[in-house]
Amino acid sequence: MVRDITIGQYFPGNSVLHNADPRLKLVLSFVAIIFIFVCNNFYSLALVALFSVVAVLSSKISLKIILKGLRPMLILLIFTSALQLFYNKQGEVLFTSRYLTITTGGIYTTIFMVIRIICLVLVSSLLTYTTSPTQLTDGIERLLSPLKVFGLKNGVHTLAMMMTIALRFIPTLIDEIDKITSAQKARGANLETGGIVKRAKALLPIFIPLLVNSFRHAFELSLAMSARCYNGGEGRTRMKQLKLQTRDYILMFSMLIFVGGVIALNIIFESVI
Amino acid sequence: MSLLELKNVSYTYSSGTPFEITAIEDINLTIEKGSFVGIIGHTGSGKSTLIQHFNALLKPTTGQVLLNGKDINQSKQSAHEARFKVGLCFQYPEYQLFETTVYRDIAFGPTNMGLSEDEIKERVREAAELVGLTDELLKKSPFELSGGEKRRAAIAGIIAMRPEVLVLDEPTAGLDPSGRKKILGMISEFRKSTNSTVIIVSHSMEDVASLAEKIIVMNKGRIYKYADVHEIFTKSEELAALGLEVPPVTSIFLKLKEKGLDVNTDIYTKEQAEKELLRYLKREGIAW
Repeated sequence: MVRDITIGQYFPGNSVLHNADPRLKLVLSFVAIIFIFVCNNFYSLALVALFSVVAVLSSKISLKIILKGLRPMLILLIFTSALQLFYNKQGEVLFTSRYLTITTGGIYTTIFMVIRIICLVLVSSLLTYTTSPTQLTDGIERLLSPLKVFGLKNGVHTLAMMMTIALRFIPTLIDEIDKITSAQKARGANLETGGIVKRAKALLPIFIPLLVNSFRHAFELSLAMSARCYNGGEGRTRMKQLKLQTRDYILMFSMLIFVGGVIALNIIFESVI
Repeated sequence: MSLLELKNVSYTYSSGTPFEITAIEDINLTIEKGSFVGIIGHTGSGKSTLIQHFNALLKPTTGQVLLNGKDINQSKQSAHEARFKVGLCFQYPEYQLFETTVYRDIAFGPTNMGLSEDEIKERVREAAELVGLTDELLKKSPFELSGGEKRRAAIAGIIAMRPEVLVLDEPTAGLDPSGRKKILGMISEFRKSTNSTVIIVSHSMEDVASLAEKIIVMNKGRIYKYADVHEIFTKSEELAALGLEVPPVTSIFLKLKEKGLDVNTDIYTKEQAEKELLRYLKREGIAW
């Protein structure tokens, strides 16, 4: 069902990554993603893979959840490897027939792409797995706060608040979809059979109440917020002040070593793709 | 005659994943035709999961659900038919209204049954009359109605399917006293006029005590007890151990007894309370 999606979910825990400063995590995942693309030979790729594995292990998130998150990528992986394997004509020819030619270059790039995509998904999903939505938006707001200089005084805060609210309501709405679907099914709504037009029409009894309920939630929330004197970001203080700590500097330092390693290996060894 | 029968029914959510939860376990249950059954139990005791098995919305992980002796999960067709025979009205049904007019919303169920235009019209009028919605209200958008009216319109949408069994999940939750009274009156009226079987899930012991004949007490996904109202509400200690209460009237009589008054404590409706009080006062020579 809808609730089986794990990408973008948060799994509370107590680990190096969970406790790290969200601003730092945002920046570091961004840097890591760039360097996953920067690496261009198997030695630096090995370092990237090692880095990803260490990152996953240090998050203390169960492997089951990690693998579940990778599952939706399977089709993409198979598709790209098939394309690379059969259409890359570089390097020595290993096998050839009327339709297919497999070359060493093809095999290299296939392996490269697969490992790269897996690392990419692992590292980027770790960000949301280990950071609560509130922390995440808080981090984004802080990172974007220099934009205030350009006259976007309240904009950054509003944007962050909107993101927080949107993320907060995803589980609520999923719950509601489930409930409304059951209720309409109980009145004999048929959602499984019929052509595309018929099926699209059958979704109306679900979407209309969902939309109406979203508006109701929005009104109630805005009322609740103004009842607590919310009036935008100006002069607003925080209960949790973000401050970089020793552990954050250690994390930053390890990242520097990783980045330096990838660059060094890229220079020392020849590029294969 | 048994109308609805559950045999060794268990249901596990997200089976085969780390989030696996067994919601109900080994349920054996027979609901007689024409009976009025109340289901009570603590939050998370499996009440909602249980009732969704009655109309094949949930398919038991193990076990069977029989309606008139036939397995309702046998095929897609039988499951679809069960939806009309067992009318299930969820908690807060007013949030599921969607049509442009109240009339069309009530007609949604009957239309899905594939009935003729005239038949649908007759059923909608009948259901609307039963729940006390005027013709004028039927022409309005469901979103213009008051909270209580919306609730009644939503229940009418289920009644219009003329189900053999009407299942209501917390029909009075979140209503003011007058709205609550109307809904409860409507339910008894429905039962009287159609001789249907009614199953009601409620947190309000008062509602259950005044309406139901038999009660199912759910605890931790199992049926703790299935017996007559009398038998359930005269064992207040057992209920208290499950975190449930007896109806307010019963607790008054229990307190009176505690204070040393020689009154009967197997009282669970206002009528019984009145009779018992008068009997007591007469005997003591206070009233006559």
